[in-house]
Amino acid sequence: MANTPIIEVQHITKRFKGLTAVKDVSFSIREGGITGMIGPNGAGKSTTFNMICGYYPPTEGRIFFRGQDITSKKAYDYTNMKIARTFQIMKPLKNLSVLENVVASCYFGHAAAKNEHEARERAIDILQFTGLYEKRHILSKDMGTPDQKRLEMARALATKPELLFLDENMAGLNPAETEAAIELIRQINQSGVTIFLIEHIMQAVVSLCESVIVLHHGEKIAEGTPGQVMNDPYVMEVYLGTKGGAAYA
Amino acid sequence: MNNNVKAVRAYRRNLSIALGLILLVFVLIPVFVKSPYVLNVFVLIFYMSTLSMAWNLLGGMTGQNSLGHAAYMGLGAYASCLLITKAGANPWLSALFAMVAVGLVAGVIFYPCFILRGPYFTLVSIAFGEAMRQFIINSSFFGRASGVGLPFGKDSLLDFRFMSKVPYYYVGLVMLLGIYLLMKKIERSRMGYALRTIREDEDAAAAIGINPTKYKVMAVVVSAMVAALVGFFYASYIRYIDPELMVQAKSTESVLPAVVGGAAYVEGPLVGGLIMIPLSEFLRAHFSAMLPGINMLMYAVVLITVIRFRPTGILGWYMHSKAKDFIDVKVLKKPPIEVLEAVELEKNRGKEA
Repeated sequence: MANTPIIEVQHITKRFKGLTAVKDVSFSIREGGITGMIGPNGAGKSTTFNMICGYYPPTEGRIFFRGQDITSKKAYDYTNMKIARTFQIMKPLKNLSVLENVVASCYFGHAAAKNEHEARERAIDILQFTGLYEKRHILSKDMGTPDQKRLEMARALATKPELLFLDENMAGLNPAETEAAIELIRQINQSGVTIFLIEHIMQAVVSLCESVIVLHHGEKIAEGTPGQVMNDPYVMEVYLGTKGGAAYA
Repeated sequence: MNNNVKAVRAYRRNLSIALGLILLVFVLIPVFVKSPYVLNVFVLIFYMSTLSMAWNLLGGMTGQNSLGHAAYMGLGAYASCLLITKAGANPWLSALFAMVAVGLVAGVIFYPCFILRGPYFTLVSIAFGEAMRQFIINSSFFGRASGVGLPFGKDSLLDFRFMSKVPYYYVGLVMLLGIYLLMKKIERSRMGYALRTIREDEDAAAAIGINPTKYKVMAVVVSAMVAALVGFFYASYIRYIDPELMVQAKSTESVLPAVVGGAAYVEGPLVGGLIMIPLSEFLRAHFSAMLPGINMLMYAVVLITVIRFRPTGILGWYMHSKAKDFIDVKVLKKPPIEVLEAVELEKNRGKEA
């Protein structure tokens, strides 16, 4: 079991009409770890992410979850397989309170709450864990970006996932907020959740990920530890700039 | 903690007394009001608000703006009337049959339509209503344009047939309260949370494991069944139905109480119905003789004013108003929300232990 990767992506390609967004990408995600995906804007990161999460099927290729083919599963089947995701552009349930946002998630997934008491109690635990407890009665549309990003994570966690996909969860945060978000992701990982994340902030990728995949123009150009990837000459050229010194943008 | 428990109990007691008093007023109205016209307005309020609650489940809670609810109501009325007149069935049983039949029709027709999102669903619902009306006008089985009349006879609860308006008043009130409690139950259930998540964002709903199509179909079926029940009530009250029941304007009428009262709240249609229907009747009774159509014009002005200045409806305004703070704190003695929450959690822990 430990040797089977939790997710295995085999040669996936996505074409939108004439445009090839992702071309023949393969990689795997190790259970229990934190894997990152980086790449310049338009590299196909979110497309890859959405294919793995069932939002649109790949044109070619297959995706396996613990050895089982999930290529054609629908997005709403994923929480029952203990997989949850967040969105790059936050999708809070705007007109519901923060608490209700999380209660809604507690009602679904593989370990769905059976009644309202149970759902509320679990939601309160998750809000305490993610640091949103004090704001639970605010409408989610009235919160700032950092809190909405946290709410995205809280809603995903409420489905009790074993694998969590984070799509640019730190974009738009200041350094202190980024630090707090990194700490939260580390805690989630330590509680036994495998994490796959897309991130632009290098500081986060370097300090969190054990393995990094680099995409460029829809193709995988490198894979390895953050150190290996950052020293790859091609990666430096296309993504981090030609001079190694300017890497920490 | 003990003081908190006491405060919460006191608040609950005050709240039930207040609600009990309101209910008592409605129960006593027929005892003091003898005018059939006024009673008729109340019966109208009851069934139109119930229809609006049915709409609100789909429009307010799920965000699928239907403009075809008069068709569900009409189909419910036809299904029950035809069963009574052609097969001689008991009206109460025929009401059940009508609800099931209309629920099925709505589910089967709208299941493929929920691939459509947003305004397209609204268009389909309009087309559905008009198609049903045309079908009935052209079908001799349904009595074509001349409609179907229910048999007259002696007063009988079994046949749901009365000369006086008072029994209809009470049955209408019970129907309103029953549907309100059902909607309240749905709102707090898994289905309610699923519907509201879908209203806010379908992709976000899928991300937490909600199958949007499944829940939208559930909503449309429940909504259509409630509308069919209203249709049965209407037919039994008026004792004659015709295809005019299903015209587009009637569908719009079912939307108004919810929107004016506050579509985000289960109570919205009740508040809206209580205000808009007497207003509409008042304008009709007092102004329509002066200049034909002037009552509709005035009604439209009121409607536009409410939507322009209180887009979240009357309840949307009230929920964030000083008036609510005053009533909560001074009249009902509502403790702070933290206290309510702490007591509720404590109680649940006690239940589990």
